[in-house]
Parts: sequence; structure tokens; C-alpha cells
Amino acid sequence: MELPPFSREQISKLIASNAPPSQLHEILSQYEPDACLMSAGSGSPETGAGDPELLCLFYSSFFFAHLLTKKIPEARALTQRFPETLKHHDPSLQSCLTLLRAIWQTEHAQVYRVLRGQQWSETLQPLIKRYESFFQDQALIAVSNSYEAIRPAVAANFLGLDTQAAEQGDPTIIQKLTACGWTWNPESQLLYPSRITVPPTDQQPTNDIRGALAIFSTPSV
Amino acid sequence: MDSISALISKSEELRISARRSDEEYDRCIRDHVASVRQSLSSKTLDLIATDHTLLDHFDPATDSITYLLLLLLRIQTLQQKTQETLPGDLLPSGDLWPKCTRYLKTFDPIQLLKLLSRQDFPTPYLKVDSLSCADSPQPLLAVPLIRDAMLKLDPSGAVFTSMHLLFVRLCLRARAYSYSLPILEKHICHFPGPAERVSSKSSPVLCAEHESSLAFINASSGLSSPLSCSDYLQYFLFGGMIYLALKEWAKASHFLEVVISMPTNGPISMVMVVAYKKWLLVGLLEAGKLRSPPSVVAPHVVRIYQSLARPYVNFAQAFEHGDLGRLDAEVGAAEDIWRKDNNMGLVSQVMNSFSRHALVGVGETFAALTIADLIGQSSSLPCDKVAAESVIASLIISGALDATLVQTPGHSDAAMLRFSGMPRLCPSSHELRLQTMFTKERGSLEGLMMAARENIHKLGVSPEFVDHVHKGQVWAGAGEAHLGIGDDAGLEIDEDIMGDMP
Repeated sequence: MELPPFSREQISKLIASNAPPSQLHEILSQYEPDACLMSAGSGSPETGAGDPELLCLFYSSFFFAHLLTKKIPEARALTQRFPETLKHHDPSLQSCLTLLRAIWQTEHAQVYRVLRGQQWSETLQPLIKRYESFFQDQALIAVSNSYEAIRPAVAANFLGLDTQAAEQGDPTIIQKLTACGWTWNPESQLLYPSRITVPPTDQQPTNDIRGALAIFSTPSV
Repeated sequence: MDSISALISKSEELRISARRSDEEYDRCIRDHVASVRQSLSSKTLDLIATDHTLLDHFDPATDSITYLLLLLLRIQTLQQKTQETLPGDLLPSGDLWPKCTRYLKTFDPIQLLKLLSRQDFPTPYLKVDSLSCADSPQPLLAVPLIRDAMLKLDPSGAVFTSMHLLFVRLCLRARAYSYSLPILEKHICHFPGPAERVSSKSSPVLCAEHESSLAFINASSGLSSPLSCSDYLQYFLFGGMIYLALKEWAKASHFLEVVISMPTNGPISMVMVVAYKKWLLVGLLEAGKLRSPPSVVAPHVVRIYQSLARPYVNFAQAFEHGDLGRLDAEVGAAEDIWRKDNNMGLVSQVMNSFSRHALVGVGETFAALTIADLIGQSSSLPCDKVAAESVIASLIISGALDATLVQTPGHSDAAMLRFSGMPRLCPSSHELRLQTMFTKERGSLEGLMMAARENIHKLGVSPEFVDHVHKGQVWAGAGEAHLGIGDDAGLEIDEDIMGDMP
């Protein structure tokens, strides 16, 4: 099927749509030759690229489509395909590189910091929010399966919650975590996660888990 | 203008004939190729070749033959005019680029195959691709086009062609690794063999359904340049490198094993040595140990590999023994070699995986240990307990280590690592995963079995085999050893071959 022409409107529409990650990735990958062709063309005297704003929007959204489909090595390869001139000038593309480094090194706190604090364009915001929620879901599943007992501050660090409040036993945070099936022992001041299993064919967590994870929709940091 | 009108009307006739039977359509295509080529050889069209709008009169999807021949004529004219192999018009910013891409996206594979299957057609496989894309300054532009064209021509991807090598090389150049997967994941079962001993008049009916793509891809079909053993080795080496970039160690290992297992009597090729070095490193990443080469590799070849890759073998031995000091020394001593071989990245990844393999080793002895004890057991962990716990947590979360952490009240001094030995997935989830895997493997095996049966049949009817059977019958005398020509005979040959293996 013929895709609509490569344009800012089309990419913005895709970003705002709630298309499944694999579909989003597939559509954006079909636009990459257009972006590549445009980046080689003449245009802005500063960057040499045809439409720097469109190119940055495209490459940033394609980068997030990789993250949402858990294609991390391929996301890294994509950053190596970013147009050289834009890579060093555009804040969004710079943030993509910082984010990739944090994900690569499994530094959860840094991932949340980059997602919440860096300069991302307004158009890209739906994807940033979507990825943050996705990353939080993944972190909850990972922590639930990796820890038998965990201190609230450590759990909060993995899940992008306020670590100081968690350390002081903030009831709101404890309540958020126990709502996911975890047990809280006030005497030992420890949380006991319960295992979460995700069917292998499902790219997304199941509905039950998703319900519990919805609690995290508002970041506390 | 008369010539264009004639071409348009011929293309129109071909479109109408597409609604007829396979045989009739096939015949019409054949006649059309002859007729268009005859028209194009006339001098009047040499002038037309310079007309920029000429191609706009044709639809590449329905007039694939005419379109391609005109496109090639235009390319040839440009080459002669500019005295360049790759004229500017063929580059992505040139006038012909959109026409080439449009053609590759929409061409009719049956018409193209028929054109290329003509023995007198001198154009190598998709000359348009190789000219307009392979040397392009933006190699990524060519990658999806070539991939889709290859899959359109041969959806099974079972026959190796020269385009396979060009394609993987292009993917590496463009760093477009995942784009190559639809091709790399196809099982290659055949090489383009000699053309069937038939005249062009009775060549296979390309519009009809075929069990195997071998029916229309052969040495003289124009779908592949002549292939050498080195092309085959390079394809698997580059494929392995793509899987390395994607961190798919098992698949990378398989591709590299194909290269190092190539049978050889004399000297081994440099490509095989390069693959062996990478294969050793992947073995460390995947299994944490120095693996023995597959049993089909002859012992003398293994000795050559080991002598040519001595620093790699030393490095792997140090890794396997868990000797961090020696490992660091080996890395430092051969740093220039890793760089020269472009393996520095892989060596760094092996070093990074040392902690994981060391912890897995500890887990084989202990059921649970405190972080403080673990630091004592594994020299690769940081001395600081918080940092060590963080490293371990990362390994567990990434799925590299099958264990759980148990924190205690207060600080992390007394946190404990428990090597569970339990599967990380619940039984039903594990079964589902296995079921999905089995279904996928079953599909692959069915494809491979079909290809194997076909190969056995081809071997059974080949002149070499018939001669061999004939000689065997003469030697064995009447009735002693009966060898028939057919499936069983082919299987017997395989067994004999395997029996010769050391």
C-alpha cells in the first residue's frame, strides 16, 4: 500500500496516533529512505539538510519506535545513521543519544531523568510519555522477578518514583507498590514483590498487569 | 514517435494476454521480448534514448519488459556520453533515480524473469540495482529496494545468487542491520546450477506455480553473476557480522560456523580465518568458554586456525580459566591485533561479560551468597558493596543471570544473592514459548526437507551419479550390490560421505 508523502504533518500524525509499536516501527521504517534522501539534499545553510525540523522529528520518533519494540541494538545502529550535521546540533537527537546510553547501561534513574528533564520537542511528547510508561512497566516486571525482598527506596529508583519519600516510608508509594501484588512488612521495612509473568507472544503486558501499572501513570519525581 | 506508438501497442497486447492461460501468456512474453529487442536495436531508438520523457509513457508494473529495456538503453547512452560507470543521473539526486526506484518497487517478476531467462540477454541480474545503488553515497536508499526486489523474484530465498552478497555488504555499509533479516533468515539450499538441457522454447513456464525457485534461477538465467566459493564464504561471514551487531550470538555463531566448516584440502582462505577469530569470541559471549570447532572441520584445519589465531586462543583460554589478571594482560598485549582485525568491540564485550560468566560459575557451587562473600569469590565485581549489588541487579534484570536478590533491612551489606535454579517463567508460559518455537522450527524443517529431497533427486539423476552407479555395477558384478537411481540411492551416498568423516 502506498504511504502518504513524507511530511511533518504525516509524522506528527503517526506520533500522536496510538498505533501498536510494531506497526509504528514498520511505517516509520518505510519513510527512512525519504529521510535519507532529504538529509543528503540541499536546504538550510546551517545543517545542509532539506528540512531539519522534519528530519529531527522523524529520526527521534523512529528511535522511540525501536525502543518501544525492544530493538535496542538496532536503535543503536539507527543513531549511527542520524545525519551527521543534525546529530551534533539538535537537542532531541542529542537526548536520544543520552537516553540510549542510559538504557544500554541499565541506569534506570538516568533513563527517567532524561525522559523527564531533557529538551524534547512538543510534537514528540506523546511518544516520550508512551515510552516512559512502557519503560516503567518493564521495570516493574523485571524488579518483581529479580528481587525476593527489596527496600522501598531501591524499588522507587527502578520505577522512577521519589526515592527520598520512599525511604521515609511514604504511604502513597507503599500503596502504589502493594497495589501491584507486592507485600509490605512494616517491621522489616521491606517490600516482597510477587512474580509477574508475561505470555511470550504478547508484546504488551496483560490487561490485569496493565491495570495495576496504570497507577504509575503520574510520575512523582 | 511511430516507434513509441509501436512499443505502447505491443505492451498493450501483452497486458491483454496476461488474462490467458499460463502457457499462452508465457509464449506472448517470449514473443514480446524478441519484438521489443528488435525494435530497440533499430537506430531510430538511439535518438529516443535521450528523450527524458520516454519512460513516462509506460507503467513499470504492467510494462516491465519494455520499461527495463528502455531504462537500460538510457543508462547505456548516459554511460557512453559521460564516460562514467555511474553517471550523475543515476545517483539519488539524479533524474533517473525516481524511475529506477519506481521500477524496482513495482516490476512484474514474471515479465522480468522471462526477460532475464533469455540466453542471449547479456544484462546481468538487475543491472539497474548494481549501477544505481551499490556505489551510492547513501547506501541505505538501496537496501530496502534490493531486498524487496530479491524477495519478489524468489520469495523462498532458497537459491544463493551474487545479489545476496552485494546485499549483505550494502547492509553492513549502511549499518542497516535489521533490514537484512528477511533475506538472512531464509535457508539457502541451492546454488544456481547449470541450465536444464532444454531449448529456450521449452524453458519452464514462469507464470506457472513452481515448487522450487531452481526452476528459473540457474547459471544462465541472468539472475546471478558467476559465483565462486569465496562469494559464498563472504556472504556467511557478513551475515554473521550483522547478527553480531544485533547481539544475536547464536545466529552469528551459526553463520560463522558455516564459514569455518567449509571443506578444504589445501590452504584455507583468509575469510575462514577471519570468521574463526570472530567465532571464538562469540563462543565466549554465548557460552563463556572456548568451544571446539564443529566435528566436520578436519584436524589439520583446526591446527592451522589455532596457529593463525594464537592471541585469540590465549585470550579465550584465560577467559575460560576465570583468570582476570591474565585476561587483562592478554587484552593489553594484543591490542593492536584486535584493532587491526576490527575485533576491538567484540573483545570489549567479552570483557564486559566476564562478571556474568564468573557469577554463573559461582552459582554452580553455591545456592546463595551474601554480596560481601560474592565480592570475595569473584574478582571481577567492584569492591564496594553497593556498586557490586548494582552490577548484579543489572545482570539479573537484563536476564543474563538466573538468580534473585534478597535485601535486608538497613543497608545493603547483608543483601544476598540466591541462585534459584528455577525457570524465570511459569510452567505454562515456558510451554507456550516452547510451542511457538516448535511451530517455527517445524516450518523451517519442512522447507529444508523439501529442498533436501530435491537435491537428492537432482543428485540421483546427475550424469556423475549415473556414471558412478554404472561403474559400481560393473565392479560389484551382477546382482551383488543393487543400487537404484532414486531417493534411497541419494541417501546412501550421504551415508557414505558421512562415513568418510574423521
